[in-house]
Amino acid sequence: MSKSKLAVSLFILSEANFFALLIIAYLYFHAYPGEGPTAATSLNAYRTGIFSIFLFASSATMMLASRSYRAKSSAAFGWLIATLVLGGIFLFGQVREYMELYASGVTANRSLFATTFFTLTGFHGLHVAVGLLAIAAITILTGVGTLGTSAREADAFGSVEIYWHFVDGVWVVIFTIVYLWAFL
Amino acid sequence: MSDIAASDRIAELEANPERIGFLSWVASVDHKQIGIMYMLSALFFFGLGGLEALIIRAQLAMPGNHIVTPDTFNQLFSMHGTTMIFLVVMPVLAGLTAYVIPLMVGARDVAFPRLNAFSFWVQLFGGVLLYFSFVAGGAPNAGWFSYAPLSEPAYSFNNGVTYWILGLAGVGVGSLAGAINMAVTILKLRVPGMTIRRLPLFCWMTLVNSFLMIFALPVINAALVLLLADRLLNAHIFTPAFGGSAILWQHYFWGFGHPEVYIMILPAFAIISEVIPVFAGKPIYGYEFVAGSTVAIAFMSFAVWAHHMFAVGLGHLFDLFFGISTMAIAVPTGIKIFNWTATLYQGRLRFTTAMKFAVAFIVMFTIGGLSGVSFAVVPLDWQLTDTYYLVAHLHYVLFGGAIFAIFAGIYYWFPKMSGRMLDERVGNWHFWITFIGFNLTFLVQHLLGMMGMPRRVFTYPDWPWWMTLNMISTIGAFVLLISVIVFLWNIVSSLNHGEIAGDNPWDAWTLEWATSSPPPVENFDLVPPVHGRRPLWDLKHPERADELVAAAAGK
Amino acid sequence: MTGVVTLNPFSPQAAAISHLFIAILIILGGIFLLVTALVIVAIIRYRDRPDAPEARQVFGSHRLEIAWTVAPILLLALIAVFMIRAIEASDPPVGDEHPDIRVTGHQWWWEAQYPSSGALVANEIHIPVGKSLLVEVDSADVIHDFWVPELARKIDAIPGHVNHVWIRADRPGVYQGVCAEFCGAEHTWMRLIVVAEPQADFDAWQSAQLTNPPTPKEGMEARGLQLVKDQTCLNCHAISGLPGHKNIGPDLTHIAGRQILAGGAASNTPENLFRWLKDPASIKPESHMPNFQLSDDSVHALVAYMETLK
Ligand code: HEA
Ligand code: HEA
Ligand code: HEC
Ligand code: CUA
Ligand SMILES: [Cu+2]
Repeated sequence: MSKSKLAVSLFILSEANFFALLIIAYLYFHAYPGEGPTAATSLNAYRTGIFSIFLFASSATMMLASRSYRAKSSAAFGWLIATLVLGGIFLFGQVREYMELYASGVTANRSLFATTFFTLTGFHGLHVAVGLLAIAAITILTGVGTLGTSAREADAFGSVEIYWHFVDGVWVVIFTIVYLWAFL
Repeated sequence: MSDIAASDRIAELEANPERIGFLSWVASVDHKQIGIMYMLSALFFFGLGGLEALIIRAQLAMPGNHIVTPDTFNQLFSMHGTTMIFLVVMPVLAGLTAYVIPLMVGARDVAFPRLNAFSFWVQLFGGVLLYFSFVAGGAPNAGWFSYAPLSEPAYSFNNGVTYWILGLAGVGVGSLAGAINMAVTILKLRVPGMTIRRLPLFCWMTLVNSFLMIFALPVINAALVLLLADRLLNAHIFTPAFGGSAILWQHYFWGFGHPEVYIMILPAFAIISEVIPVFAGKPIYGYEFVAGSTVAIAFMSFAVWAHHMFAVGLGHLFDLFFGISTMAIAVPTGIKIFNWTATLYQGRLRFTTAMKFAVAFIVMFTIGGLSGVSFAVVPLDWQLTDTYYLVAHLHYVLFGGAIFAIFAGIYYWFPKMSGRMLDERVGNWHFWITFIGFNLTFLVQHLLGMMGMPRRVFTYPDWPWWMTLNMISTIGAFVLLISVIVFLWNIVSSLNHGEIAGDNPWDAWTLEWATSSPPPVENFDLVPPVHGRRPLWDLKHPERADELVAAAAGK
Repeated sequence: MTGVVTLNPFSPQAAAISHLFIAILIILGGIFLLVTALVIVAIIRYRDRPDAPEARQVFGSHRLEIAWTVAPILLLALIAVFMIRAIEASDPPVGDEHPDIRVTGHQWWWEAQYPSSGALVANEIHIPVGKSLLVEVDSADVIHDFWVPELARKIDAIPGHVNHVWIRADRPGVYQGVCAEFCGAEHTWMRLIVVAEPQADFDAWQSAQLTNPPTPKEGMEARGLQLVKDQTCLNCHAISGLPGHKNIGPDLTHIAGRQILAGGAASNTPENLFRWLKDPASIKPESHMPNFQLSDDSVHALVAYMETLK
C-alpha cells in the first residue's frame, strides 16, 4: 500500500470509531427514549431511502471512474461528474429533510433522539460534503488534463476513492440503524 | 562526520542566521524544527501548569488559607490537570517522536511534512484557546474530566468548559494527524534492511502508540461533540433532569481517558527502552517480550475504562470484571519493568544524567503502578478513590513515570538536537533535586489519602497531622520549582557554552547517531547499512555483529 | 476522624476493606521491595569502574521472562481471590429492602430523610449503635459522593441513578463524612457527621426531630420569627409549623441542635450563626444562600429565634 493510501486508511479507521461512538449515543437514547419527538414520529424512511440510493449509486460511479482512470480512458471525467451529481442529490435530500424537520419543530434540542440524530447525520453530511469537495478537485484536474497517471497522482485519486467508499459504507450502517430499525 | 566537522556545522548555522531565524521556524515543515517547537511549547506550558500547581500547593500549605477563592482554586486544578496532560506530556512526546523517528528509521523526514506542521500548529492553537478562557470570563472549572452535569451550562456559568472542549478538540485533531504521520513514517520510510523485527524499540512503541491514538482519540472527539451540543444547542444528552444520562459521559470520557494514560506512558517506555541499554552497554533484555507486551497493553487498555467508575454503583459483577481486567495490565507492564532491570545486570552502567532519570523511573513508576493495582482491587477503590491517594498515584505514574522518562530523553537526545552536551554536573544537581522534591511532594499524599483527605478541596479541617503532611508536600513542590530552574539554566547555558557533542557522544547504536549533531536538513549523507537492531554496534564490532552472535547462539 | 481513617473501621463492612487493604499493602510492598532491591543491587554491582569489563552481550532468556510473566499472574490471581471474597462483605447486597435513610446531595449540603418516621434533617445523621442501616443515596443537582470512611465505602450520589449503601457503627461516637466527588465551587464544605448513639438516645433524638419547637411569643425570638416570615427564607428553607416546604436549603426546624453549620464550614455556635446570617460568604464564599444585607439588630433577632429551634 502506498504512503497516502495507508494514511487515508488509518484515518478511516479512526473515523469509523468516531461514527461508532455517535451511533452508540444514538442507540442508547433509542433504548431509553425521553419525551419529545422520536425516530418513528419524525422520520420518513421511504424518502430518505430513495435519496440514499443516489449515494450508493455514487459509489458505483466512483468505482467506474477509478477504473477508467487507471485504464487512462477519458471516460473517467464523465463518471466523476456523475459521482458529483449523485452525491449532490443525496446532500440535497438531507438538506431538505433537515428543513422539513425544522419546520415541524424537530430541532436539535427538542429531544434526545433529535440531538443524537442531528449530530450523527450532521457529521455524516459534513463528511459527504468534504468528500464531494475532494472529488470536485480531482474532477477539475482530470477535466483540464493536469491529473496525470504518475504513481503519486494515482495515489491521490485512490485515496479519494477509498474515502468516498467509506462515507458511503457509513451511511449503510446509519441508514439501517436510524431509519430502518426505528420502525421495526 | 568527525567532531571538528560537527563544530563546523554549528559555526555554519550561526553564520547563516536565516537558517535559525524566526521565519524559518514558523514556516518550517522540517521534522526537526517542528519537533523542537513542540518541545518548546510544552516547556512553556509546563511552566504555566507548574505555576498553577504551586498556587494550589501554597493554598493547601495550611488549613484555612485564603490565597485564592474556591472558584479560582477549581479553575487552577482543572487547568493544571488539562495543561499537564494535553499541553505538556502529549506535545513533548509528540515532539520527541517527530524529531527522533525519521532519524531512527533513516528517513529524510516524516511521511507528510506539511501535515506534521499542521499537527503542531493546531495543537498549539488548542492550547492557546484553552488559556484564552482566562481572559474570556473564566477558565474551565469542572476538573480535567469535566463530569456532567457539573460541566453543563446549568452548573458551570462561565464559558470555561466550552473553551476546554474547543481546546481539547484542537489537541485531539493535531495528535490524531501526528499519530497517522508517525505510523506511516515507521511503516513506509524505513531504510532497506530495517525489518519490523529489527525496528528499534522506540519506533516499535511509537508505532503501537500511534494505533492507540488512532482508536482512542475519536472517542474523546465524539464525547466533546456531544457535550458541545449540550452547551451550545441547549440539548440534554448528559443532563438527567431532561432524560439524559450523566453516567454516559463517564463511559465516553474514560473510554478515551484510560487509553490516554497509556498514550502518555508508552512513549515514556519507549525512551527508557533506548536509554537503559545504551548506558548499560548491552542490548535490551528480551526484545520480543518488551515489544510484545506493548501490544498487549494497547489492547488491554480499551477494556478497563470503568475502573474510574467503581464508586458510581454499577453493580458488583460489572466492577469485578473491570477490576480483574485492570489488574491484568500489571502483567505486561511488569514484564517491561523486569526486562529493563535485567538489562542492567551484567552491564557496565554509565550513570549519566539520562541514565539516572531512567533508573529512577523504574522505581518511581513501580510505586505508581502498584498504587494503581491497589485501585483495581475494587473495595479499596471504594475507600480510596477521589482522595489524595489517587493524586499520589497519578503523579507517580505521570511525573515519576512520564516526566522522568522525558527528562531522560531530553538529556539523551539534546546533544543530537543542539550539537552541544548538557552539563553533566548541573544535570546531576537537577536529577537529585527533582528526585527529592518529587518524593517529598507526593509520597506523603498517599498517607493523606488514607487519612481521608479528599482531592479537589481548596482547604481542609485542622485535624492532627493534616497540616504537617500538607506542609511537607508544599515544601516539596517548591523544591521542584528549584529543580525546574536548574534544568532551564542547564539548557540555556549549555546551548551557549556546552561541550561540542560530536556525532555519537554516548556510543549509542541507532541510526540517528550516525549523522552529525545537529543533523543537516536532509538528515543523512549516507545511511549506514542495517543488518540488525543495533546498526552502529555492528559497524563498530563487525566481528561480533548481533546477527552473527544470534546465529552462533542458534536463534 | 483523626487517625488513618481507611484503616480505622467501626463497622464490619469498613473492617472488611481495612483488612483487605492491609493484605494488599503487604503484597504490593513486597513487590516494591523486590524491584527496588534488584535495581539497587544492579546499581552497586554493575556501576562503571575503570577496570570494569565490557558488558556481556546478553539478549535475554525466555525461561526467565516466562517466569516473570507467570509469577505476577499467580500473585494477581491471589489478589483477585481476596478481592472477590471482600466485595460482598464490604458492600453487602441490598435485595428488596426499604431504605432506613434517604440521603440527597445538594450543592453543597446533605439532606437526610428517615422514611419510616418522616424525620427530615441536614448535614447530621443519627443512627443507633450496632444496627445496619440501609442508606439510599440520590442527588438533586450534580454528582456528589456520600463517604463516611470509618463506617462504609463511598458511593456516588448521581441524579437519575439511585444508589444504596449499608452503614453501621459498632461503637457510639461522632463519625465524619464528606462529599467525595467534585461538585462545584464549595465541594470542600460539603461535610456531614454521623452520630451513633444507643437505641434509646436515638429514639429520643428522632422523636425530637418530629415535634415542632415552641413558637416564641415575644422578645427577640418573636422578632426573629417575624423576620423569617417577612424575608424570603421560607422560599428555600422549611421550618415545620410554618408555611412552605422548600428544600433548596437545609431544613431549619431543629437547626440549633446541630453541631456543624453550612456543611462543616463552621461549627454551629451563635457567633458563627450570626456571621452566617450577616454574610454567608464570610463563611462559605460561593454558597447558594444569599446575603440579605440585614442590620446587626435583625441578625441578632434571627439568631435568637434560631437558637430556640432545638
Ligand atoms: C501515565 C499514566 C498512568 C498509568 C501508566 C497508569 C497505570 C495504571 N493505573 Fe492509573 N491513573 C492515571 C494515570 C495512569 N495510570 C490517572 C491520571 C488517574 C486519575 C484520573 C483522575 O481521576 O484524575 C488514574 C487512575 C486510576 C484508577 C482509578 C482510580 C479512581 O478514580 O478511583 C485506577 C483503578 O484501577 C488505576 C489503575 C491503574 C493500573 C492498574 C495501572 C497499571 O497500568 C500499572 C501497572 C504497573 C505495575 C503494576 C508496576 C510494575 C509491575 C510489576 C513490578 C509486576 C508485578 C506486579 C504485580 C503482581 C501487582 N489508575
Ligand atoms: C503530567 C502530569 C502532571 C504533572 C507533571 C504534575 C505536576 C505537579 N502537580 Fe499535578 N495533577 C495532574 C497532573 C500533573 N501534575 C492531574 C491530571 C491532576 C488532576 C487534576 C484534576 O483533579 O482535575 C493533578 C492534580 C494535582 C493536585 C491535586 C489538586 C486537587 O485535587 O485539589 C496537586 C496538589 O498538590 C498537584 C500538584 C502538582 C505539583 C506540585 C506538581 C509539580 O511537579 C510541578 C512542578 C513544576 C514547576 C514547579 C514549574 C516551575 C515553573 C517555572 C520555573 C516557571 C517558568 C515559567 C514559564 C516557562 C512560563 N497536582
Ligand atoms: C435562595 C435560597 C435561600 C434563601 C432565600 C435563604 N437561604 Fe438559607 N440556605 C440556603 C442554602 C442553599 C443553604 C445551604 C448552604 C450551604 O451549606 O452550602 C442555606 C443554609 C442556611 C443555614 C445553615 C443551615 C445548616 O444547617 O448549615 C441557615 C441557618 C440559613 N440558611 C438561614 C436562612 C435564613 C434565616 C434565611 C432568610 C433570612 C435564609 N436562610 C434564606 C438557601 C437559602
Ligand atoms: Cu458534593 Cu462534592
Ligand atoms: Cu485508568
